[in-house]
Amino acid sequence: MIPETNHPTPLAVVACQVMQPALVPLIAESLMASTVFLDYGLHRSPDLMQPRLQEVLGRIRTPSRVLLGYGLCGNGLHGLQAGEHTLIVPKVDDCIAILLGSRRTYRQQFHAQPGTYYLSAGWLEAGSHPLGEYREYAEAYGQADADWIMDAQYRHYKRLVFIAYSREELERYRPQALQVARYCQRWDMRYEEVIGSDRYFRRMIAILKQPQTGDDGFVVVPPGGRIRKAQFTE
Amino acid sequence: MSQLIEQITTGVIEGNIQGVSELVQKALDEGLEPEAILQSGLIIGMNEVGRRFKVAQMYIPEVLRSAKTMHAGQEFLRPLIAGGKAGRVGKIVIGTVQGDLHDIGKNLVGMMCEGAGFEVIDLGFDLAPEKFTEAIKAHQPDLVGMSALLTTTMRVMGHTLKAIEEAGLRDKVKVMVGGAPVDAEFADRIGADGYGHNAVSGAELARKLVNAA
Repeated sequence: MIPETNHPTPLAVVACQVMQPALVPLIAESLMASTVFLDYGLHRSPDLMQPRLQEVLGRIRTPSRVLLGYGLCGNGLHGLQAGEHTLIVPKVDDCIAILLGSRRTYRQQFHAQPGTYYLSAGWLEAGSHPLGEYREYAEAYGQADADWIMDAQYRHYKRLVFIAYSREELERYRPQALQVARYCQRWDMRYEEVIGSDRYFRRMIAILKQPQTGDDGFVVVPPGGRIRKAQFTE
Repeated sequence: MSQLIEQITTGVIEGNIQGVSELVQKALDEGLEPEAILQSGLIIGMNEVGRRFKVAQMYIPEVLRSAKTMHAGQEFLRPLIAGGKAGRVGKIVIGTVQGDLHDIGKNLVGMMCEGAGFEVIDLGFDLAPEKFTEAIKAHQPDLVGMSALLTTTMRVMGHTLKAIEEAGLRDKVKVMVGGAPVDAEFADRIGADGYGHNAVSGAELARKLVNAA
C-alpha cells in the first residue's frame, strides 16, 4: 500500500473494471473516494469509449491528475481531451501488457502464439470470456446458432492463457479458468497458466503520485491537450 | 414490389436466415431483377448493419447472423445475376495480416466485393507479407485488400505494403486496408490507396479504385 500524503494536485483514477482486482489493493483508502471503475464492456465498442470517458472526466470538478486505467484499447482513447486535468495513461495497446507486467512480456507471448485468448481474474469476474459469451448467445439465439456464432469468432485461436498475479489468485480462480478451458477445447485450444506481475500496476500508482519520475511507459497529456493514438507508438 | 425489397433489407438487418431465400424467390416471381434484389435489398441491409455496428446498436453475433442471411440470399441469386460470372469488374486478393487471426471483417469484405462484381481470392489469415506478394504474382489481381483487428497487428500492414513495393509489384495493384482500428489517416501514412470503414464501403471503394463505380 502506497501512502497518500502531501499532494497539492488532487489525484483521481478512472479505470476499466477489469483492472479492479489488481488496482484496488494498491490504491490508498483516501484515493478510493476519487476512483471510478467503468464497465468492462466498453472495449467491445471502442467508438463509445472516448465519449464515455470524456463524460466521466467532466464530472471531476477540481483540476486533477488523472490516471486512466486503460490502454489504447482499439483506438478507444484517441481524441480524449484533458480539459483542466493532466491525464496519465499506460503506453500499451491493451490491458494484456499491463496484466503481464510489461510490453516486452506481451510481445514475447504474442510472438510465441498470436492466436491466444487471455483470461484474468478481472475478466473472469466480469464473465467476459468465450464460455460467458456462449451462454449469452445460447440464451438469445438458441444453442445451434450460438455454436456457429462462437465458431466464427474463435475457431482460429490456438491457446488460452490465464494470467494471475500470485499463486493464491491462481488457485482461487483456477476452477473458473478451467471451465472456460474445457469449453475452448471445442477449438483444440490448449490451456496455459502464467504468473503475471503487478509491476505495471505499481508503476501506474507511482507515476500518478510522482509524475516527475518521467516513466516512459506512460503517455502524459497536460491540461488543454488531447490523447492521440500516435503517442502510443512513439 | 418495392415492399418486398424492403422486407429483404429488413430480413438482412434482423438476421432472418431462414426467411430470406423465400423472400428472394418471391421477389423473383414478381419479376424483380436479381441485380436489383442484391443491390437494393441485400446490400442496403448490410450497409445499415455496418452503420448500427459502428454505433454499438448491433454487436458481433447480430452482425454474423445478418452476414449469414446476406450470404444465403446472395447464393440464391448467384446463378441468376446478369452477366454471369464473377470478376466482371475486376479481381481482388484479400487477407488478414500476419499475427492476426480475425477474419470476420475480412470475410464480410469478400462477400460484399463479390456482390459488387469482383472475383475474390481469399488468402485467409495470419499472412506473412510474402504471402501477399506471391499471390499478386500468381493471380495478378487489380486490387489487394488487407485486414487487421488489433492495433498491435495493423502496423504489419505497413510492412506488407513495403514488401509489395520491394517486390516491384506496387504499381501493378491498388491496395486498400480496413479493420476496426484502421482509419484514413493510417491508410495515407502507410501509402495505401484507400480505406473502407466497413464492408460495404470497402466494396464501394474497390469499385472506385478500378474505376467501376
